[in-house]
Amino acid sequence: MVQSDLDRQIAQLRRCEIITESEVKELCNKAREIFIEESNVQRVDAPVTICGDIHGQFYDLQELFTVGGECPDTNYLFMGDFVDRGFYSVETFLLLLALKVRYPDRISLLRGNHESRQITQVYGFYDECMRKYGSANVWRYCCDVFDYMSLVAIIDDRILCVHGGLSPVVNTVDQIRTIDRKQEVPHEGAMCDLLWSDPEDITGWGLSPRGAGYLFGSDVVQAFLHTNRLDLVARAHQLVMEGYKHMFDKTCVTVWSAPNYCYRCGNVAAILEFDENLASSFKIFEAAPQEARGTPTAKRPAPDYFL
Amino acid sequence: MTEQMSIDSAPPVVGGEPSPGPHYDFEDAQSGDLGALAAIADAMKSDNLTDRLESLKRLSVLALAMGEERTREELIPFLDESIDDEDELLLALAELLGDFTQYVGGPKYAYVLLRPLENLAAAEETVVREKAVESINKLVAAMDQLHVEEYLIPCIARLSTGEWFTSRSSAAGLYAAAYGKVTDAIQSKLRAGYEALCKDDTPMIRRAAASNLKDLVEKIEKDHVVTFAIPNFRHLSEDDQDSVRLLTVEPLVAITKRLSTEECKQYLGESVHRMCVDKSWRVRYMVAEQFVALATNIKDAELQEELLNVAISLMHDSEAEVRGAICTQLDGLADLANTEAIIGRLQAPLQELVDDPSQHVRATLAKHIGSLCRVFGREGTIEHLLPLLLRLLKDSFPEVRLNIISKLDVVDNVVGIESLSQSLLPAIVELAEDKQWRVRLAIIEYVPLIASQLGVQFFDEQLTTLCMSWLGDPVYSIREAATTNLKKLTEVFGVDWARATIIPKILIMATHPNYLYRMTTIFAITTIAPSVTPEIVRDMILPALEGLVNDPIPNIRFNVAKCLQPLTEALRKSSETASLESSVIRPTLARLEEDPDPDVRYFAHRSLTAISNAATA
Repeated sequence: MVQSDLDRQIAQLRRCEIITESEVKELCNKAREIFIEESNVQRVDAPVTICGDIHGQFYDLQELFTVGGECPDTNYLFMGDFVDRGFYSVETFLLLLALKVRYPDRISLLRGNHESRQITQVYGFYDECMRKYGSANVWRYCCDVFDYMSLVAIIDDRILCVHGGLSPVVNTVDQIRTIDRKQEVPHEGAMCDLLWSDPEDITGWGLSPRGAGYLFGSDVVQAFLHTNRLDLVARAHQLVMEGYKHMFDKTCVTVWSAPNYCYRCGNVAAILEFDENLASSFKIFEAAPQEARGTPTAKRPAPDYFL
Repeated sequence: MTEQMSIDSAPPVVGGEPSPGPHYDFEDAQSGDLGALAAIADAMKSDNLTDRLESLKRLSVLALAMGEERTREELIPFLDESIDDEDELLLALAELLGDFTQYVGGPKYAYVLLRPLENLAAAEETVVREKAVESINKLVAAMDQLHVEEYLIPCIARLSTGEWFTSRSSAAGLYAAAYGKVTDAIQSKLRAGYEALCKDDTPMIRRAAASNLKDLVEKIEKDHVVTFAIPNFRHLSEDDQDSVRLLTVEPLVAITKRLSTEECKQYLGESVHRMCVDKSWRVRYMVAEQFVALATNIKDAELQEELLNVAISLMHDSEAEVRGAICTQLDGLADLANTEAIIGRLQAPLQELVDDPSQHVRATLAKHIGSLCRVFGREGTIEHLLPLLLRLLKDSFPEVRLNIISKLDVVDNVVGIESLSQSLLPAIVELAEDKQWRVRLAIIEYVPLIASQLGVQFFDEQLTTLCMSWLGDPVYSIREAATTNLKKLTEVFGVDWARATIIPKILIMATHPNYLYRMTTIFAITTIAPSVTPEIVRDMILPALEGLVNDPIPNIRFNVAKCLQPLTEALRKSSETASLESSVIRPTLARLEEDPDPDVRYFAHRSLTAISNAATA
């Protein structure tokens, strides 16, 4: 792929315009080559800004970049759930993917529980691909990329970043390294837990009401951090109205980056900036105002009415 | 509650991906390949909605291959007969047929498309009907009188007398386009037909008749405005249903455009008055929204005077929507009476609107109140409007503050920046630290204007510190706007001011412990480089960049690489500094081209190439 083509595609996606099916195919192939080289546990250097769920809220992702800085000037780590729920999963995921291919050292993308064939068929990404491209091909290309995305990232050997949380069958980071991640998210086991679990004010492990993953308490986090010489577990996966939430004496933090989730929850969103000395600060932002959201193009009338 | 709703759970275990049935590959159809054409035809009968929809999008390919005659005689009748029951498909078809004239043999055959569109115009789903009406009107524009009379008029007649309400409501949208294209005798039939729709038993039809009356009013002769349009307007404006009455405001405005002052008074005075005090707020809202258009067309002074009273009563309306709507009309409203009367009578309602309990009313007021300055004049504005503006600037709702700030230049023009600054400066300084970054952004964009009018000394005392503090703002786009602001200030106050005041402060940021803030230094340098002298670049900027070239963070190094290109352009402006390109810039970029980070290498290479290209050009 010629760099100028890629730059043009990025510019196009930044305007919330889709690229052609053949361009998606090439982009996904290229992205897969990059992800395949990355370990299950991706090493990331500070400074970096970490972000939680986006869920296809494209104009709010633009807002995120307005507040946090554009890629590549600012380094980013996204902790999964790029697609489903919002109106622009296709544009959102492809933009992030194109940035990853263009600037692989400046942006990291982790897999979330929505980066899965099954979940995207239920929560909107599949339908959106069908509507915008007329076939399931783009959805298939994207799902093939999902299978290669890293499961966790570790910043400067100190901070573990993961979409969901911990797993009862994972005690050490090395155990995560042994997972064969190149598959659809399974219904149980370590890989499933990393993408589905939630922290909770309990002791030890509990059953998750989600039907996948587990609930884990402060003692679990403490033990894991101690065993692996880490300071913090940063994760996303759960809506928090204030955009972020500390738990367990600040050893676990939830970051949520989809403001006014589903266009009606009324929450603010946050990103977490780590500077080169790992000094951290949260940046809070709200949903993009109506003027900043492009008017739906006349070409695609398919009103909400039909959805 | 909302949190509950949005938590997702794992779906039941099912394997594999969905099977969309047979997959049709349409890509080859562009070539006119027979197999592909058959695929389109097949897909039209597919069970899968997406396939049928896709085949419809490629119908023009099929039509081209079939030729105009077979398209008319086979394809169009086929479409008509096999009309689908999926609304999404019907909508697409209705849209497509409006643009299909070229495939059936041009305007002289456009009429063959009327048949399927007539059926679509009777569909149950509103959006389908509306699209069908839109498409028929498109066709009519291309049709000649003979075909309109022969094909469209009977079609309108059939729809207008249709048993089911759907066709009658579509019919109302077709009269205006047909009217200008037929003989007097048929025009009189059309008027009779429309009158019947206005008097239809179903409110839905009367609504359609009311909302399409405006277009018809513009087409008919003056006599018929009085004998046909006004009686029907009156009839509709006295309807039992407020949903019908509210649609009569637009035709009313259209009617006033066709009448003289005298006639307005004679025929409409009473109706206007009744609508303004309608018991339904939705009707009053429509009046408020169209107020200026309505009042301007009624040129009679006495009536206008009365209308001003009405406007003021709408400002006190019990519904926030109505109060907001009349606020949007403030500009034109001020022209309705002489200045003194306006100032005298608007003051009290404006006072109340500033404290309106609805934040949306206050936001709308904030957006439009500035336009009154023109009428109030300098003295009047300072005395009466400034206090109100100040109160709105301190409103608790950010949108109100934002709307005031973004319209301040209108106020400037009237009162002069000096009096504005003195009264507003404290509020502006306060807003410069507003929690909402969009409010801060609006203030920043306003600063160069203030600067140009205040002069250096006053500016330095009051605002320089503020401008520098924006460089360290936590929000990226504010830091970015802050650099653009400094460039504009340099243009206003001159290079010497920049050298003494802002450049040292920019360069201090180069040692900030956080890379995002060190980056601001580079952005600021890049932005102001074209506005400063080559000597400043040589003596102040290049030395400061030296440390950043070796920054541990690659993002800083590649931004230095990017920045060196505009700096070189600045250095080339003077023969004394031009040599630095070969002694400093190129060696630095060459070093960065060997950087361990690929992005640094890329941007260093790009800058070098750009510099070389500019040198040879």
